[in-house]
Amino acid sequence: MSVILTFTLNGEITEVAVSPSDTLLDILRDKLNLVGSKKGCGKGECGACTVIMNGEAVNSCLVPALKASGANVETIEGIGSVEKFHPLQESFMDLGAIQCGFCTPGMIMSSKALLDKNPNPAREDVREAISGNICRCTGYVKIEEAVLDAAKKLQERPARRG
Amino acid sequence: MKNYNVVGHSVRRFDAVEKATGTATFTTDIKLPGMLYGKVLRSPHPHARIISIDTTEAEKMPGVKAAATYKNTPRVKYNGAATSMITLPPMAPVEDQYVFDNVVRYVGDEVAAVAAISEAVAEAALKLIKVEYEALPAVYDPLEAVSPATPEVHKECREGKNISGDLTKLNMGDVEKGFAECDVVIEDTFKVPVQKQVQMETQSAVAQVGLDGKITVWSTTQAPHPCKMILSKVFNIPQSKLRVLNPPYIGGGFGVRIGFSGKAEPIAVALSMLAKRPVKVVYTREEDFIASDTRHAGYITVKLGAKKDGAFHCIDMNATLNTGAYASWGVEAPAVLGCMGLAVYRIPNQNYIGRSVYTNTTPAGAMRGFGNPQGIFALESAVDMIAEKLGMDPVELRLKNIIQVGDPWVLPYQCASTGLAECIERGAKSIGWERRSKLNRPGDKILRGIGIGVGTHCSNAWPWFGDYSNAYVTVHQDGSVHLATGVPDMGTGTSTTLPQILAEALGVELESVSITFADTQATPFEIGSHASRTCYCAGNAVVAAAQDVRKQLLDYAAELLKVPPEKLDIKNSIIYIMGETAVDCSCSCAPVRQISLKEIAWRAHQQNKQFIGVGRIIPENAPPWHAHLAEVEVDTETGQVRVIKVVAAHDAGKVINPVIVEGQIQGGVLQGVGYAISEEIRYNDKGKQLHDAFHKYMLPTAEDVPEMEAIIVETNEPTGPFGAKGVGECGMVPTAPAITNAFYNATGIRLKEIPLTQEKVFMALKERA
Repeated sequence: MSVILTFTLNGEITEVAVSPSDTLLDILRDKLNLVGSKKGCGKGECGACTVIMNGEAVNSCLVPALKASGANVETIEGIGSVEKFHPLQESFMDLGAIQCGFCTPGMIMSSKALLDKNPNPAREDVREAISGNICRCTGYVKIEEAVLDAAKKLQERPARRG
Repeated sequence: MKNYNVVGHSVRRFDAVEKATGTATFTTDIKLPGMLYGKVLRSPHPHARIISIDTTEAEKMPGVKAAATYKNTPRVKYNGAATSMITLPPMAPVEDQYVFDNVVRYVGDEVAAVAAISEAVAEAALKLIKVEYEALPAVYDPLEAVSPATPEVHKECREGKNISGDLTKLNMGDVEKGFAECDVVIEDTFKVPVQKQVQMETQSAVAQVGLDGKITVWSTTQAPHPCKMILSKVFNIPQSKLRVLNPPYIGGGFGVRIGFSGKAEPIAVALSMLAKRPVKVVYTREEDFIASDTRHAGYITVKLGAKKDGAFHCIDMNATLNTGAYASWGVEAPAVLGCMGLAVYRIPNQNYIGRSVYTNTTPAGAMRGFGNPQGIFALESAVDMIAEKLGMDPVELRLKNIIQVGDPWVLPYQCASTGLAECIERGAKSIGWERRSKLNRPGDKILRGIGIGVGTHCSNAWPWFGDYSNAYVTVHQDGSVHLATGVPDMGTGTSTTLPQILAEALGVELESVSITFADTQATPFEIGSHASRTCYCAGNAVVAAAQDVRKQLLDYAAELLKVPPEKLDIKNSIIYIMGETAVDCSCSCAPVRQISLKEIAWRAHQQNKQFIGVGRIIPENAPPWHAHLAEVEVDTETGQVRVIKVVAAHDAGKVINPVIVEGQIQGGVLQGVGYAISEEIRYNDKGKQLHDAFHKYMLPTAEDVPEMEAIIVETNEPTGPFGAKGVGECGMVPTAPAITNAFYNATGIRLKEIPLTQEKVFMALKERA
């Protein structure tokens, strides 16, 4: 049995046939071939699958696909491009916040959800925002620095916010 | 230290854009036409014989295309760790497992697998496989496992019951006489837990068997070439018909897949051969926890003796490690533990015996530090204990005793450089070592302490097993340069630092360099990315290949420029006469005093020639050094230990890319913090792993990160590329003892077992009260 799911994905109205047992992550990766969102556990414990749904960072592996009906979903593929990176992408690249890269998309999406709401976060806010995203490579130090750096860039360039 | 154009600069990683935009490909992202999904049936018993196994019903299920058991897969014994292909004679590799066997030896051991059109169908089919087991007695502790009354996990153990392979015996001087000459001696036994790598991408492989018999395997291996060799042996297929590659990225490693990724590769190949379609096997996180290699747990005893003035005089160490159900790296881990433990201090009389023991638990193999963090926890605890007995400051005592360049040691290579004294001094200054005795007041409920741990490591795998490196450098017809190397980039930055080394060694711009890595078909042999070796060994091969191609270029240019090649150099991709300024001159002004790589490559092409450099090296080895200083806070009412600050001072030789090196140190330190205070996998009395998921296995999150300071102490290592040494594993090595020594400084309680969990600390505080 499949149902047509309609939602806004990275700014575009998207229609896709889903089965009721599919998760949002299944749909993104298997049906829409957006494999930037990663599956690290499938149980909402590692954050590698984090996307932004209606402004909130969510573990897409825990979201039933049909829950996304009518929602506005942003994934790593939608927030910047080689021509115009999101400041978070720039800061992650420039400050050494990327190692194996498997947590990076989820980490950037959790951070973006934070900065969208709180453009001037304290270190503790950053830590809380990414506390559900496991990174085993970096010790989080450079990730934290990158998020704070991106916040600063966004402050300096308010026109590019959002 | 010499300044370079490319080396020593924190250039942006080559993989940064792909990884920041979500376009980097990992094994788990691969999807092929007609691809099936493999799932594995695992043993619920810690030790059992399979009386009967029947897959008929599972195979009848719609969508199921193949089922594999010990009955229809190769009966070839192997060891999935690369050691099986690089063990140096006279030692022989321990080959003790099959893809599937009729005996299971731990909870999670592979029983059967199916390939189906979806993961869901494959999972449902597993439930239809009928297995009858005869339960066998099991043993979980390595000291118990060598006693007469316990069951045999494997029968053929030539060194004694359940001992998984050769013992490591190291000796220098006369230990008996040495201890008799000591004024102060301490002796104690330390216990270390099972730690898990918990790399973010689980064990994964996709296998495609071609109609011509060629097999391609995309996988998460850290060692594609040895992985190919083991597959070749198990499936009896020529290596020339096997291609193993990373796609090209791996979601971390930390040692868990130096060879096979669990059994993802052989199971994917077996199913693909049966189904005649591509098969993808991706471990769940639980499977990754219970059925892929862990760090070795075990016991380490240290007896350390010193003269009154604090000079260490004699040491006797022994280690019994738990290698679980299969040997994996069980022979080498205690070897590295002993060698590294004995290499830190100048001690004239030394003895070490190390062994690994089989038990009915998840196999233990390689994890960052490879035995060294276990030994260093014990050794550095003992050093603080003897410091107290001598009435000496732990920093002073270490500075007095650390190895110096040229000192004799148990290793067959020289200590040619050490910055350890500077690491200790700068680290102590940064943490405020002098505050150590003034941190607490009577009645404080929260106690603070500062501690130190130091250590060394290796920069490759020799002498514990064979190690050599190869690289190809090709100059394209437009003068751009391509590097091919067999080492993966599992996140440590290899695919950036090796091009940096090439650009520097050849004199070209970094932007003109591209790299192919971790593909057995497109790159020459490499033993893989592990042993803190990649930058040092593959880097040396890159330098050799660059020198080879440089000579070809200069010889060719010498004829054109009508000067001897010795007078020529290359800078910014322009060959010029030394002493004359290199300018980027594209006009046709005569006489020709310089020529760009672009021009010379094109000229050569028109004369039917390409410049191709080959680098082949057998590495020396070199010791990186590190001193970690930690400050902790202990809540005496709850038993909670918080690590407040870690200063990690590292001598990694000449640093090729400072930001990448800092990242290695910081990541290693946090894994060390977890090792010291929270991470462990324990078992219940039925052999079931109690910590098999993120929410049960207490690894540090962003909210647990102490203030961290990475101090880079540069030395020039004469055997390394541009003076570089290993660094990848080092952040892990002395973190635990720095923390436990700080805990002792805070509380006066010496816990001889890590991790310092809240429960353990609470009980210890209660006992003392």
